[in-house]
Amino acid sequence: MSEIRLQVDNISKSFGITKALKNVSFNINKGEVHALIGENGSGKSTLTNMLCGIYSMDPGCGRFILDGKEIHSKNQVDANNHGISIIVQELGTLSGLTVAENIFLGHEERFIHGGIFRNTVAMNAEADRLLHQYGFDRIKASDLVDNYNFEDRKLIEIVKATYFKPKIVVIDETTTALSQEGREELYKHMNRIREEGGTVIFISHDLPEVLAKSDTITILRDGTYIDTVKSSDVTEEDIKKLMVGREMTGNYYRADYGEKISDEVVLSVRNVTVPGIIHDVSFDLHRGEILGFGGLSESGMHEIGKAIFGASFDREGTVKLADGTVINDIPTAIKHSIAYTSKDRDNESIVINQSIRDNIALPSLNDLTVGQSKFISWARIKAFALKFAKEMSVKMVNTDQFVSELSGGNKQKVVLARWIGKGSDLVVLDSPTRGIDIKVKQDIYQLMDEMRKQGKSIIMISEELMELIGMCDRIIIMKDGTVSGETLRSRDLNEQHLISMMV
Amino acid sequence: MTEATAEISKESQMKKQRTWRLVRALLPILGLILMFILFNFLTHGRMMKHLPLAMSQVYVTMIASMGVFFIMSMGGLDFSQGSILGLSAITVCVLSKYNIPLAIVGGICTGACIGAINGYFYVNRKIKSFIVTICTMFLFRGLIKFLTTNSPVAGSADLVSIDSTFFKVTVTAVVVLIGFICFSFTRFGTDLKAIGAGEKAAKFSGIRTDRMKFLVYVLAGAITGFAAFISAIKVGSVTSSGGNQLETQILIALVLGGMPISGGAMVRFSNCVVGSLLYVVLTSGLTMIGFTPQMMQLIQGIIFLVFVAIFADRDSLTVIK
Repeated sequence: MSEIRLQVDNISKSFGITKALKNVSFNINKGEVHALIGENGSGKSTLTNMLCGIYSMDPGCGRFILDGKEIHSKNQVDANNHGISIIVQELGTLSGLTVAENIFLGHEERFIHGGIFRNTVAMNAEADRLLHQYGFDRIKASDLVDNYNFEDRKLIEIVKATYFKPKIVVIDETTTALSQEGREELYKHMNRIREEGGTVIFISHDLPEVLAKSDTITILRDGTYIDTVKSSDVTEEDIKKLMVGREMTGNYYRADYGEKISDEVVLSVRNVTVPGIIHDVSFDLHRGEILGFGGLSESGMHEIGKAIFGASFDREGTVKLADGTVINDIPTAIKHSIAYTSKDRDNESIVINQSIRDNIALPSLNDLTVGQSKFISWARIKAFALKFAKEMSVKMVNTDQFVSELSGGNKQKVVLARWIGKGSDLVVLDSPTRGIDIKVKQDIYQLMDEMRKQGKSIIMISEELMELIGMCDRIIIMKDGTVSGETLRSRDLNEQHLISMMV
Repeated sequence: MTEATAEISKESQMKKQRTWRLVRALLPILGLILMFILFNFLTHGRMMKHLPLAMSQVYVTMIASMGVFFIMSMGGLDFSQGSILGLSAITVCVLSKYNIPLAIVGGICTGACIGAINGYFYVNRKIKSFIVTICTMFLFRGLIKFLTTNSPVAGSADLVSIDSTFFKVTVTAVVVLIGFICFSFTRFGTDLKAIGAGEKAAKFSGIRTDRMKFLVYVLAGAITGFAAFISAIKVGSVTSSGGNQLETQILIALVLGGMPISGGAMVRFSNCVVGSLLYVVLTSGLTMIGFTPQMMQLIQGIIFLVFVAIFADRDSLTVIK
């Protein structure tokens, strides 16, 4: 039995009406990768955020005992001083600061002389040395972080969280934001920390990844502790059962193969260029087809979705529907039955500080009027929102609840509910399952399959190759802003095949 | 803890949250009633007796605050309302010598033009709204001072003859009613609130956010341009200080009415109506008790700060993952 690093002792936490954690206790050992898994809203992030001082600890709500000593982090810097750091789910770097300033945020005193002057040169040199040591040579310490994309900023966070050899590093749902390449980097550093005797708390929804990369797995469900198991002793099915509390039945992805794609083109994209992001992309989308887009995250595939939806700035080329309508802006796109869910869910897909009701009704307001008038009918809006929230089984108190109070999976359900309510025939889903647990994932896959059978066309943009292979009729791979390959649905398709076209 | 007790605590907490929302919604109205009773008591009923006089300020404030209310719903600010009022009043006075309807239209157009300038710099040049409107406030105040260098701009005698309490009450009621219907029962209000709660997401929901933002500034300018007409019939002329500090009055009125500074989902139309009434009761009450204008500004400032502290929308900033 290895030594205990952290004791989680009887931790509870509530947010207003929601009880996020209920008396959770377990131990985490030295020199291990300890995975923390559970569905959305099971309390994983809440627990680690309390450990790292992001959420406050209410009196009498339990204790964290690190190496035999009770700790109580007041904020992230304080947590760093206890030897705990975190890589968060969303962006954790601050815009407007340089890479070096971000890496040493809260620890600038190392470079301050005489109490006033900061030695920026030394700080940049030290940051560059670290970046080189981590093998991220393309990132320059003196650049603003704004010059880097989501993925590179995650790499900067890795450096920031691990350079000082912390006792515990929390990695909260980071891998879904990373491409294959970025993930490999992260795994490498997780291994290094473990070998140096440190502890990694690893939160992920990707169960094969959890099984492959962690030593121990703790499962939470609805804020309660379920079990801690050795990764080598369990299978994916076992964990799913523990997470959901029942046997998972049915197919994860769609089961059919060899179905012919319709000849009817519903959308044609010709010579679309967005300066600096995508270059001269053309393709057709057919009725009832799920067309996948894969690639590295900076390959330009995310911009494809925006370009179709009319949301790209400075787009050239044409996006045309079967009836000849040209899509150049968002209102036209929505009017002609195009729906779009963004990778950046909290900013672009939902109005975060708004009720579930308004979020679901927003694109459909023109249809929810009193008779033919311009006056909106609140009764119809309420009924509409409730109907589609129920249809998507959003976990909520009522439709007046703000979406900011919902978990990631439930937010995505609200987004989907609004477009299903709108009755969109052409759905663009960018990273629809990012940061979402398997149960909701399964719901989304099922929904996509149903929509396909109803003759709706779907474009699915994803960094998860398995879901592209499992769900799509056709996959287009993007590389450096252009199309680098295309494959049809087949049983023999594997990740390696797609990766070879990506890099 | 068992499931049952967890349910009970959830229930009680939800109740608490609901009560708090109700308090927030009712506080301005209760405040208005209490304030009214209090001042009547302190002035031995003088306020009640002189009600039409006390209320004479409310028409302009209420109409103009409605435009700013729309702007603030979508998360913007506008400090140029005082200058808009002053300049529009000058237009109204000059044109009143020809034709009264022409004067009204002229006032509205002047306001709309300044609103369009605000909107252009805010939307197209992407400058923060409070900076743009502080600039235009300063700029047009300068123009007003220039135009009134030698003497106040006087309107025709017909202008003052329109002035009657009945007329002003009716006009204000009609304008506010139209505003209320548009805000609460058409897309207009929902779109504004959505922009205030999350502009990018509102855009991705199909709202033409840039056009909307521009038009709302034009609209607010036009509304204040109309308020300038009401102001002009009362005084009959415009001095260099015409409309001075209207923007602060509006801001205080809206905040007193319970308006969240950052706009968004919690905005209600009653904010601007109750707020301007509360503001006028407060100022005329304080005057009747015998406070000097200098003291009044101090007291208003304190009340303003307290209300901002109460109504700043911090709830919506917490995100639970």
